Amino acid sequence: MSRFRVPGRGRVNPDRPVTFRFDGRPVQGCEGDTVASALLANGIHLMGRSFKYHRPRGAVAAGSEEPNALINTRRGPGRAEPNTRATMQEIWPGLEARPQNCWPRLSFDLGAVNDRAYMLFSAGFYYKTFMWPRSFWDKLYEPVIRAAAGLGVSPSEEDPDTYASRYLHTDVLVVGAGPAGLAAARTAAEAGLRVVLVDEHAEAGGTLLSEPQARIAGLPAWDWLTAELAALKALGVRVMTRTTAIGYYHQNMIGLCQRLTDHLAELPADTPRERMWRLRAARVVLAQGALEKPLVFDGNDRPGVMLAGAAQTYLHRFGVRVGDRPVILTSHDSAWHAAFDLQDAGAKVAAIVDTRAAPPAALAGEAQARGIRVLAGFTATATSGRLRVRSVRVHPVSAGTVGAGEEIACDCLLMSGGWTPSLHLFSHTKGSLAWDEDRTTFLPADTPEDCVIAGAGRGLWGIAATLADGAEKGAEVAASLGRGASAPALPVEGDRTGSGTSHTELATDRSPSRARAFVDFQNDVTAKDLRLAVREGMRSIEHVKRYTTNGMATDQGKMSNINGLNIAADALGRAQPKVGLTTFRPPYTPTSFGAFAGYHRGGHFEVTRRTAIDPLAEAAGAVFEPVGQWRRARYFPRPGEDMDTAVARECRATRTAIGMFDASTLGKIEVVGPDAVEFMNRMYTNPWTKLQPGRCRYGLLLGDDGFIRDDGVIGRLAHDRFHVTTTTGGAARVLNMMEDYLQTEWPELDVWLTSTTEQWSTIALNGPRVAELLRPLVEGVTLTEEAFPHMSVAECTVAGMPARLFRVSFTGETGFEVNVPAPMGPALWQRLAEAGAPLGLTPYGTEAMHVMRAEKGYIIVGQDTDGTVTPADAGLTWAVGKAKPDFVGKRGLARPDLTAPGRRQLVGLLTEDGTTLLEEGAQIVLDPAQPVPMKMVGHVTSAYRSEAAGRPIALALVEGGHGRMGETVHIPMPDRTIAATITGCVFHDPENTRLKLAAPGGDA
Amino acid sequence: MTPDLSAPGPLAESAAAKLSLAVPCARLSLRARGAAVAPLSAALGLTLPERIGTRASTAAGDTEALRLGPDEWVLHATPAALPGLLAACAALSPEHPHSAVDISGRELTLVLEGPRAAELLTLGMPRDPDSIAPGEGRRTLFDGVSVVLWREADTRFRMDIWHSFAPHLASLLATGCAELAAETA
Repeated sequence: MSRFRVPGRGRVNPDRPVTFRFDGRPVQGCEGDTVASALLANGIHLMGRSFKYHRPRGAVAAGSEEPNALINTRRGPGRAEPNTRATMQEIWPGLEARPQNCWPRLSFDLGAVNDRAYMLFSAGFYYKTFMWPRSFWDKLYEPVIRAAAGLGVSPSEEDPDTYASRYLHTDVLVVGAGPAGLAAARTAAEAGLRVVLVDEHAEAGGTLLSEPQARIAGLPAWDWLTAELAALKALGVRVMTRTTAIGYYHQNMIGLCQRLTDHLAELPADTPRERMWRLRAARVVLAQGALEKPLVFDGNDRPGVMLAGAAQTYLHRFGVRVGDRPVILTSHDSAWHAAFDLQDAGAKVAAIVDTRAAPPAALAGEAQARGIRVLAGFTATATSGRLRVRSVRVHPVSAGTVGAGEEIACDCLLMSGGWTPSLHLFSHTKGSLAWDEDRTTFLPADTPEDCVIAGAGRGLWGIAATLADGAEKGAEVAASLGRGASAPALPVEGDRTGSGTSHTELATDRSPSRARAFVDFQNDVTAKDLRLAVREGMRSIEHVKRYTTNGMATDQGKMSNINGLNIAADALGRAQPKVGLTTFRPPYTPTSFGAFAGYHRGGHFEVTRRTAIDPLAEAAGAVFEPVGQWRRARYFPRPGEDMDTAVARECRATRTAIGMFDASTLGKIEVVGPDAVEFMNRMYTNPWTKLQPGRCRYGLLLGDDGFIRDDGVIGRLAHDRFHVTTTTGGAARVLNMMEDYLQTEWPELDVWLTSTTEQWSTIALNGPRVAELLRPLVEGVTLTEEAFPHMSVAECTVAGMPARLFRVSFTGETGFEVNVPAPMGPALWQRLAEAGAPLGLTPYGTEAMHVMRAEKGYIIVGQDTDGTVTPADAGLTWAVGKAKPDFVGKRGLARPDLTAPGRRQLVGLLTEDGTTLLEEGAQIVLDPAQPVPMKMVGHVTSAYRSEAAGRPIALALVEGGHGRMGETVHIPMPDRTIAATITGCVFHDPENTRLKLAAPGGDA
Repeated sequence: MTPDLSAPGPLAESAAAKLSLAVPCARLSLRARGAAVAPLSAALGLTLPERIGTRASTAAGDTEALRLGPDEWVLHATPAALPGLLAACAALSPEHPHSAVDISGRELTLVLEGPRAAELLTLGMPRDPDSIAPGEGRRTLFDGVSVVLWREADTRFRMDIWHSFAPHLASLLATGCAELAAETA
């Protein structure tokens, strides 16, 4: 048994010892211990070093509010986490826990030199000290400060754990499984509601775990707790422990982070480390309790100085006596019980020092009965001890005068400055707070969410009061959900009700400017810093916070905010509500990135859409590229080929034989209804009325502003049915835009839109021999120039499969697009590949497609346009139906700046040396000799090596480009300036002779 | 872990839930409103359901309709029944304006069944599974992707998804089958 373990106390299992490592040495605890309780059981108070001064620190609390005892936990490669609270981390055999922020070792740390120089490191010190010279900031001061600051070290290895997420819906969520939460859950569940009860600790019970002396409904508190949890389970309540409500979002959406494996020695299979629950509750009961306030006095941060309530928890929940000779320093009744319980557990309490002149007589009597010395109306002005508190100096205070001091030896100092309701989640709801002068704290007032606060969270004190309040609030939410509920009163014996007073800094006989009286332990902010901030002009608590960093550490000011406010208000001479409380933001406690990412990592990082033909492309060794959510085959390299070689081969094959391309990702929308043609007329710039069924037209879609949004070939299948194609990336956006207009502007139209993008596998076939390939396979349409001219569409069969066959070309060669029901795509691809092999059929990818369309000057929306390009800019005026009464963007096109001269227009560019490939995105200037910054007149939008053109080609947007044909422009690059000639956009077969279909039997 | 989606059959199975790929069926997206609905019902041999999320079947049971929106239904049918359905709809034009589009090739159906099938959905569905009664259906989201759910029973769902999303969604559902089974609670 460890030296400070108290036999017969605590909920840990002394028969199940657990050995873990701390700071490189083995430490033995019991099953049920946290790292902090196990260390304390072995008399180890020194657990870490502070952030700024590297002062030795120990656990000051016993819960998630702990600011000091931050450790690095490790479980083999990759499984390391910094800044873990030793007070929350459960131990398991083999756990490696390391202290942080110390070098070379915890007990002797070189960084502690900062502590000697503390007068230099006052509030805002880095703003003042490191201001000049200005140039030193980026290169010297900031990197050095950043390296020296921070707490733990970020893990550098990939995390092998998995993370999960789920949605959960419930009638009532209760946050906090203390007496108020348990009672609220019970009442709501008995009313027949679905109830979820969460608690961040390893077991439910809250304060009951630290108050076994109480009796509830005639049962010892722990027996009552066991029975109550069984009752809740029987009622179907989902009780989730190790689950932190990290944030309260709109409409009662609460984020819950559940820790599933951090307490386990062996990692179970298929089990994530953490799970983020997105819980939607009809009603929320916040029963988060209250947090104890430290007292602010010189030396209040030494290891061994601890909250009295934490000492109670270590004694009762973990069976650990935090010291043999404690001194209690308090302004609240609650700490007296810590003295009594520790005395009863074998400690020798040196003194109870109460700042109040007249603490309750009943408590004084109990102390006397135990022979404990009581010093009422006293203050503490200093502590001593290097790595552990050794003594505390106390003085009587009379009429504001601090009397003679006395040094009292101790091995721990248990303090209580009263209790602060935990308002974090309530604050997330944008709830308003009301200042309570009696309790010197803020209490919850109104919230826009369907939520209530029960128990100590709204300032109540004692088990009986919080149980009753929880039951009442449970009945209240049940009633608001239309359920009757009764809230039985439970008799409580041994309840420890009490009250206290609040302080700023404790009175002292020393110069306050030399006091190291800590307010924020994690960020090393002292009372002196706060007063300095006020002296230097900070008026709002928000400014004080940022200037001093009070409350800005990972504990979010759980222990420091209220003390900081009281001191700032005192320094300003204004009431606390006038100074204000800073806003609490999610998450309530630090939360891992993994928990937020959930399943979305690795191969599941984001949605990757694949066509039906994708597996064949993969088998053929295609190199893929992401296009929107899709992955598309970019090129099909043969052994030894790089991209340029493969793309050149694919282009050559298409222009001399047949190229085959998976165009399935093209967006497709079926527009159906008697008003289909009217709808098309209104949406697209082109006229559609005269387009006959069986014919296609290139369609151009603008936004209201007149700029190009999308384009695609559109086939008319019947008088009331169009097969619209869109760009791959624009499919969803175009459908949404169409639905917007249909539903909000033209609801009178009888026309409906159906996404058919994925109904079809689309295979594009291009090249002079394509008719040879298709004629034997196509039934239902004659493939001649007369019967099926360019820009035709027919429903037919291809290789026995039902198909929509389009005669279109995005390469300038004779072209077809075969659409078959998506699942048939792979079979058609294979059939075409086999049948086409003797004809030289070659699959090509998006890169060759890009090259060939650029050779023909066909634009790609989003590459050659950027949302500021009009049809005229792109040379597409021919696609705008000028006689039409209206279409989306018609009025936008009439805006003066859209018709003004000097707009950037799409042109071709040929580099004058005939060999240099321009860089996409490169800027263009007219005069390369002008001084920098030069006037840029445009940029390169597309650039490729082109075998068909015999040289590199490019498309560019250039100011007034259409009027600059033949002029030379210049493209400045980092190493040289490239000259290029402006040309038209068509680099290959400007007469479109190659689009024609060879006659049957004719030569290609 | 992406299951093999090349053929109908089981994709993942655990004590908690089983995931499988359903045999292909015919699918029709039907859009109509007002006076056109009754003639369509008559032509299709079922009463197109009125409330969003409710379903109706033909007497022969070879066609089932689910109402997805104010003017939208999806029909599942045997492949043999599809041409008849399309012809019946086409015969009503133009007097009874509507849109009938064959989407058989657009989607596939995953079947989720087993004691914790409803919980399996909560991995990616923001909606409360309890809000979908057995015998009903809904269009909703799963892992950010639009899906149509048919609740066949307390512990059995069909999930219609577009082909291209199938590897992504099936992989998460397979992960979920194993994860749920590993839970001791």
